[in-house]
Order: sequence, then C-alpha cells, then structure tokens
Amino acid sequence: MADLVWASMGELARLVATKAVSPVEVVQAHLDRIAALDGTLKSYITVMGDAARQAAKAAEAAVTARETLGPLHGVPVGLKDLYCTKGVRTTGGSRILGDWIPAEDATVVSRLGAAGAITLGKLNMHEFAYGPEGLNVRYGTPWNPWDPATHRICGGSSSGSGAAVAAGLCPGALGSDTGGSIRIPSSLCGLTGIKPTYGRVSRAGALPLAWSLDHVGPMCRSAADCALMLGAMAGYDPRDPSTSALPVPEYAAALTGQVKGLRIGLLRQFFLETAGAPQRQAVEQAVKTLEGLGASVRDVTLEQMKYSAGVVAAVISVESYAYHEAWLKTRGAEYGPDVRERLLVGAFVSGADYLKGQRVRRLLRDEVDQVLGGVDVLIAPTVPVAATEVGAREVDVNGRREPVRPSLIRYTRPFNASGHPAASVPCGFTADGLPIGMQVIGRSFDEATVLRVADAYQRVTDWHTRRPPLGA
Amino acid sequence: MTPSGSAALLSKDALRALAQAQGLALSEVDLEGLLPLVQSGRTVLAELAGAPIDDVEPTSLYHML
Repeated sequence: MADLVWASMGELARLVATKAVSPVEVVQAHLDRIAALDGTLKSYITVMGDAARQAAKAAEAAVTARETLGPLHGVPVGLKDLYCTKGVRTTGGSRILGDWIPAEDATVVSRLGAAGAITLGKLNMHEFAYGPEGLNVRYGTPWNPWDPATHRICGGSSSGSGAAVAAGLCPGALGSDTGGSIRIPSSLCGLTGIKPTYGRVSRAGALPLAWSLDHVGPMCRSAADCALMLGAMAGYDPRDPSTSALPVPEYAAALTGQVKGLRIGLLRQFFLETAGAPQRQAVEQAVKTLEGLGASVRDVTLEQMKYSAGVVAAVISVESYAYHEAWLKTRGAEYGPDVRERLLVGAFVSGADYLKGQRVRRLLRDEVDQVLGGVDVLIAPTVPVAATEVGAREVDVNGRREPVRPSLIRYTRPFNASGHPAASVPCGFTADGLPIGMQVIGRSFDEATVLRVADAYQRVTDWHTRRPPLGA
Repeated sequence: MTPSGSAALLSKDALRALAQAQGLALSEVDLEGLLPLVQSGRTVLAELAGAPIDDVEPTSLYHML
C-alpha cells in the first residue's frame, strides 16, 4: 500500500486501466495515509472519504465493463478549498464561508472529474488565498513535511496542496496562483507546479483573490504529471470570458526529453543576484545540467521588473478589496487579523493608482514578450529562501534581514502581472534538507515548452523523486 | 488628503476620515494597525511614478485569442 501513495499519477492511471490495481485500493491507501498523518500536517480542511470510496467503486466498475477511460481514471486528486464543489462545503480557508455549500462545481473540478479523477477532499490554504506563507488561523497552518521537528511554512497560499502532495496524501492537487501561490509552495515543498498562461485554464467557480492576476494550475511530483493534469483542465470555457479559444496541445506528447538547441535566458539581475547562496548555486547548477543536455544559455535582463511590486500591489489591493468590501463592512471580525488588514489596504488606493498599475503592467508584459523573442524560456530561482519557521517575520538572505512575505513573492509575482506561463521545478536542497525550486518561464500559451524543459531536467536528476522524512 | 500616488505621510486622522468616507467603521486599534500598511503600500505605489507610461493604455487581459 505504501507504494501506491508514492506512485505518479501517470503510473496510477496505467495500473488502474490494466487492472493491476483497483481504484478502490488506490483511494483507500491515500485515505489511510491522511488519517495517519494529517492530524499534524493539517493539509485537508474537508476529507471526502465516503464520496471518494463510492467514486472509486464506480471507477472500478467502469474498468470491469471495459468502458472508455479518461486519462486520470481512478487517480485521486486534492482540491484547494477555493474551488467550488457541488454539495461539498467550500470555505476559502475562511470562517466567513465555513458552512457554504456551492450548487455547482468549478469548471476545472468538472473537467478533472470528466477525465476520471477522484476527489479526496478540499485542501487547506491561506485565508482567501491572500498570503504567501500559507498560514491559517481558522483551520490550522499546514506543516511543511520536510522538517518534522520544526513547524515550517509550506508557502502559500496553496499550502495544503503543497503539504498533501509532498507527504503522499494525494498524488496531485489543484492550486491557484495570484502572486506565486502555486510556485512558492511547490518550491518550498519540493514539488513541480505550473502557473499556466492567463486565459489557458478557466477560473469559473474559483473564489477570486484578484480577477486579473488569478491563475489556476496543478501541483504534482513531476512535470509529466503536471502535463497530464493540465491537459485535462485547459481550454476555452464559456463560463470564463478570459479563457482563450486557442487549441490545447497534447502536453504529454511534448515531453520528448530533448532540449538540444533550446535557448535559455538566465535572469541574473533582480533574480539570481539577490537569491540566497544555496538557491543561487542550485539554480546555476541546474542551468549547467540543461546546458549539458544541449541547451544554450545566455544572461538576459528584465529592466521593468523594478516596477513589479508596485504593479501587483496596485492591482491586487483594489481587486481584492472590491470582492471583499461588503463582508469587510458587515463581518469584518470573522476574518483572520492579517488578512483583514491586508484587504482593508485596498480601500485606500485610488482608481488612478489602480490604472497606473495596469498601465505599467503593460510595460512588464511587453518586455517579457520581447526578451522571449530571443530565447525559448527564462530561468530564475522560484524563491530566494527556504521554508521559514511559522511565525517568523524576517529571514536572513546572504547576511541581510528581510521581511518574509515580500521575499517569498519577489520572483514569482512579475509573471502574474505579465501573464506568462511559469513552473517551479525542484533543483536541490539546503544543508538543512529543505527543498529549493527553479522557475522556468515560457512564452504565452507555450506551456508545452516549459513542461518539456522541466521534464528533460527531471529525466537526468532525482530531486523530484526524494521523499520527506515522515517515516513511511 | 494627500495627492494620489505620492508617498507623503498619512496621519491617523486622515486615515480615519478616509475610512469613514468609505463607510468603514474602524476602531482606533484598527487604524493604528492599518496605518503602517497603508503607508508602506503608498510608498510602493509611488515607485510607479517613474515608469514611462505617457503613451501606454491600461493592460486588458480580458481578450480572446
């Protein structure tokens, strides 16, 4: 049973389809592990045990009846608890929605179900997705599985997704990313996660943090599994007017293992140069590995990145306040104090400042497009530091004390503003055994190349296959 | 009220007046906690003042491709 919780999503789908294993066994193995570990890890807000077992039996019957099976048939997944699930409470990690039961599924939930995935439950998160640490005062802060002795952050806001996938409590999960909330927990928990291009995956039925910055994407233990999950989710949705009508490529077919001739732009200024020494060394080594596979590397610079903090601050503060305004005025005491304060800041940002942010945002997006005209992907660290202790307000970066929160999002938020696809890929560990992530950024709607680079790297490295020290 | 986009210091009294105008009933403790956050936010936004956007329209990502 232990092997089932560490099998890849692709392997599980294959085992189920060939009747080598029953989806009932797969689901039960994960439910048993959740029961054993999640009292401490706190990765799930709601475990859907009965529904998952029932779905597994139906999946088993479909295999027996030789029905046509979807690419994720019988494979368990976890859902960040901001995706609406018909008949199952969707809290947003908040007290305010603590008893809210949606009447319909989010589009991505429906699509994963149509592909055969079985939902194990709803995953913990920073309240209303507004925090890069992944803290939660209402449901408990998830524990990073890579340090059983010290309560460290998983990164957020998709902290439950990070903890659950890293600890073998589900093989893949939905995250969401407004300033880095897929990539940060992927980096700090040793996972592979991709924020697709804005418009590639529907946001319909996902609780918003900031409409124009929110992205929906998968968090898994490999690029191959991200390709599998993304392929099941992506594509035009009439429920989300921002989704693209561009066809969705066959992502799995793009994973050729080949990067010969690929042109990599290495982001030193603003990114690598300000990262902690372990992160910088790990990313530089990873780039050498890709070079060894035949890619060419040159340094590139994004001059407009200096505006990224202001752009995202202007946009996220106003859009999040607009969504929460009524609750802030009538149910303000029900928010966690950190999130309430952060949301209220948006009340004091003018319309002119919001639009200034959206105007400068165009400079960022155009510059990323321009630089990606000369290279195929960009590479940078995902986060400048490793997972910090829960409650830490400052972190040491090469001898400098920096506030934790802005440090975590410094390298990820620019690509929420620009909308380009960006993945985090495990590329090493600190001396303390904490994971390090590398960010791979691609051209708009070219997730296939991002995933190809990540997969090629994972074919010759084993960082993504290591397991946290949980004793099983 | 200080000019939009400037990093000029905001007083607690000014913040209280702005909050009241927005229909937000904030306590003195709320205002004291919020003031440094609003101030630091204004400082970050003020950095946008140097961006060359004279001929740049706002980004719209709500488009079909």
